[in-house]
Amino acid sequence: MDIRFEGAGVSYGARVALAPVTLQLTEKRIGIIGLNGSGKTTFARLINGLTKPSIGRVIVNGRDTADAKAILTDVGFIFQSPQNQIILPVVRDDIAFGLKSHGYKPAEIAAKVEAVLQRFSAAHLADRRAHELSGGELQLAALCSVLATGPDILILDEPTNQLDLKNRSLVQRLVEGLPESAIVISHDLELVADYERVLVFHEGNLIADAPAGEAISRYREIASR
Amino acid sequence: MSTRDLVLSALFAAIIVALGILPPITLGFIPVPITAQSMGVMMAGVVLGARRGMVAVLIVWVLVAIGLPVLSGGRGGLAAFAAPTTGFLIGWLFAAFTTGYLSERLVKAEQSGLVQTVGFFLSAMIGGIVVLYAFGIGYLALVSGVNLEQAFVGSMAFVPGDVAKAFVAALVGRAVMVGYPLLPVRA
Amino acid sequence: MKSLFVEGNSRMHRVSARAKLLVLAALGVMLFLTANLMLLGLAVLATAAIYFSIGLPARSALARLKPIFLTILIVALFSLAFNPWHVAVVALLRLTALMLFAAAVTATTAIAQFIDEITLLARPLERLGLLRADDVGLAVGLVVRFVPEILDRYRAIREAHAARGLKVRPTTVLVPLIILTLRDADNIAAAIDARGVRRHVN
Repeated sequence: MDIRFEGAGVSYGARVALAPVTLQLTEKRIGIIGLNGSGKTTFARLINGLTKPSIGRVIVNGRDTADAKAILTDVGFIFQSPQNQIILPVVRDDIAFGLKSHGYKPAEIAAKVEAVLQRFSAAHLADRRAHELSGGELQLAALCSVLATGPDILILDEPTNQLDLKNRSLVQRLVEGLPESAIVISHDLELVADYERVLVFHEGNLIADAPAGEAISRYREIASR
Repeated sequence: MSTRDLVLSALFAAIIVALGILPPITLGFIPVPITAQSMGVMMAGVVLGARRGMVAVLIVWVLVAIGLPVLSGGRGGLAAFAAPTTGFLIGWLFAAFTTGYLSERLVKAEQSGLVQTVGFFLSAMIGGIVVLYAFGIGYLALVSGVNLEQAFVGSMAFVPGDVAKAFVAALVGRAVMVGYPLLPVRA
Repeated sequence: MKSLFVEGNSRMHRVSARAKLLVLAALGVMLFLTANLMLLGLAVLATAAIYFSIGLPARSALARLKPIFLTILIVALFSLAFNPWHVAVVALLRLTALMLFAAAVTATTAIAQFIDEITLLARPLERLGLLRADDVGLAVGLVVRFVPEILDRYRAIREAHAARGLKVRPTTVLVPLIILTLRDADNIAAAIDARGVRRHVN
């Protein structure tokens, strides 16, 4: 994985959501923490092109996010809200839909759906209706849908925020075991506590970029002011 | 159409479907319970505007056509397009569009709440009654062996209920605009 | 939400969706080209024969037609009061035959088949830049996915009313229902865009 921010920042009119940032991300596990409104989600959304930089640019695996739709095949994104990510009634169809949109043929789609369900031991969810699933099950299904198309970078935006303790541990274990590179935004500091690199945002600025221990101390300092 | 607009239209189509599933509601000032689904069509116009309101109805048409029982009373399927009242179903599209079109132009942020509500009410009446009934009555006369005059007279009984719906749709439109404005404002 | 499709192996089931739709359209035209009571009567018999041969138990077969047939009957009776009986009967027969065949097509054609046909019809419009053909399947999926959530939300709002001793009025229920539902649109749209599902859209 090679993500480069080259003076990339985001403003909405006069409001600066993210001050220009220059850095390079290559680590396997990267945490992003900060208070609400600190710019951490804006930062994350620059990586998969959901948000375009108002200034500077972001290069992911050699491609500029501003013009590449192809970024989306490399970068998967898991959102906070479990319900709003499964967009079709039955889990299996939801996983298949993403694959269909990427141009796979029916036989390949069926194979890839089975493969990703096996991978996450989620076969029991395949034919369930999304409406009947718990938050944890929905996040699991979302992981299947997003990873089915094979991105090698996964961004998770507060994946455990709306989950109870049991489901939180489940998702934590899942993220730990991912062979893909993971960038995790989290209020739940435990989730990122042993990451090799954690970025701390505050009021639109990157104020710390260090291994987890140091970064979290800095964050606590800021948060308690 | 942007993804957001598509999702807004689809979610409103889902609201229209839900209104068909929920039991008829009683408004304080009318003794007979009314089905809220046609009110949903007016609300699509006042809340989402012309284009998205129209797409919401289009999506409902597709749902009916493919065999889902989404019309109130559990009706659905192609047979729903073969009834004498099908003109009203067809008219929904033009009703939502007209209501949205007028709402976008009549209602402005600077107006008082009362003026905005009146604007929405007029839009809902013109779209949800005048335009809708034009299609409903026209189709009825075309396929059912009654002439225009008879179709017109026969349909008038439903107007008071629809005026009440337009009123509610206007109140809802205004309140939604205050809480979560979505209406595109055009000169 | 249960669809009106019924599994089976009748002749109608085996005919392609496209053929059935074309026949339905042709039937619609032909029924309105003639006012001959004999022909129209035969049409009703023929379409009824088809409808009752597809494998639906008689009770549910009739139940499906009830609301629509009731409307046809009421309009015919209304017409009878003001027009020559011939006119009313012609209309009754036409609409009944059309209803029967339409219901037969619906009961013997799966949703996926319909969506395929509609998507195909929509492709030329795609070239005109009016819409994206695949959006049809997505839109249908989104509605079926979120209707149960909306119904849950409605119940929750009603319960909140009850807990506060408030009377349930259309405005106090519909407004939060609409706002809460539409607020989700941004998140859902972001999830869709992040998965690259509508790839040709900005």
